[in-house]
Amino acid sequence: MSLPIVIADDSLLARKVLTKALPPDWEVDVSYASNGREALALYREGKASVMFLDLTMPDMTGYQVLEALQHEDLNTFVIVVSADVQPMAQSRVRALGAVAFIAKPVTPEAVLPILKEYGLYV
Amino acid sequence: MSEPVLNEDQRDALQEVANLAMGQAATRLARLLDAFIELSVPRVKVVKVSEAAQALRQMTGIEDTVSAVRQGFRSDIKGEALVICRSDSIEQLCALVSDPYSRSAYEAVSQTELVFDVANVLTGACVSCILDQLGRTPVFSAPGLLGEAMTLDEVFQPGVLQWEVALLVEVNFALEDQSFRAHLVMLMAEESIRHMNGALDALLSSL
Repeated sequence: MSLPIVIADDSLLARKVLTKALPPDWEVDVSYASNGREALALYREGKASVMFLDLTMPDMTGYQVLEALQHEDLNTFVIVVSADVQPMAQSRVRALGAVAFIAKPVTPEAVLPILKEYGLYV
Repeated sequence: MSEPVLNEDQRDALQEVANLAMGQAATRLARLLDAFIELSVPRVKVVKVSEAAQALRQMTGIEDTVSAVRQGFRSDIKGEALVICRSDSIEQLCALVSDPYSRSAYEAVSQTELVFDVANVLTGACVSCILDQLGRTPVFSAPGLLGEAMTLDEVFQPGVLQWEVALLVEVNFALEDQSFRAHLVMLMAEESIRHMNGALDALLSSL
């Protein structure tokens, strides 16, 4: 059965780059969100076993999505994907429950070890 | 002259390219100011230089005076980068970084230095990173102060900046309780914006 995942980024370019960085044989059902509110709605529909989350988005930032998820059952692996490479940004999102942080531009080499670490891709 | 335009895909791509560049700039600015920088979504817009003051006012709501630093960059995409900060936000930033007990005649000097530091970080990180993602390695000329306490109309007055097209990139760096806003404007000839469009198309089709 395909794993439902969400790619949340306001940029079409960024969504394409991320999609391309996923393992080609990973059996997933991808839903796309262009802002935080859509990402949260997709999570509530059960479409986000894994969520790739950008931080700077209009209509709920990635930080706000992480905060909102803490009030839900947090039944998802959130992987933050951001251009904000300040060390404090990484520690903040981890404190908010993200399992990993990937710096943009995303590469397959950055994604793969995280998916393996959490047993999401074998 | 025809209206310089980016199609929606090119605009989206350039905004994401600017977003990556902003992340680099914020990291350097955070180090310079020893503070955490909150980033927002950069907004990009291409206009004629003659309309740049009005467009920037609409994007940013700036009615007050500004400081502006200019710096040339060259590759097949060439032009001049302007970093524009509101005069009062420079004062605030200066108070934040300088020792409050050493206010003196040097304060005016250090404000100018701070404008240069911020401009250097923004131009260096943003322009280099934007052009790098488009496969270009720019060469920079020395930065120069265009002026302090200028209106936006004075910044873009005809005859001072000899370019046709202005690429407005709004970068908004918020520092804790204070909001420090800096605006990066890349001024280019029409030919350069065509090269940029081509580079953005190449980036999009590589996916």
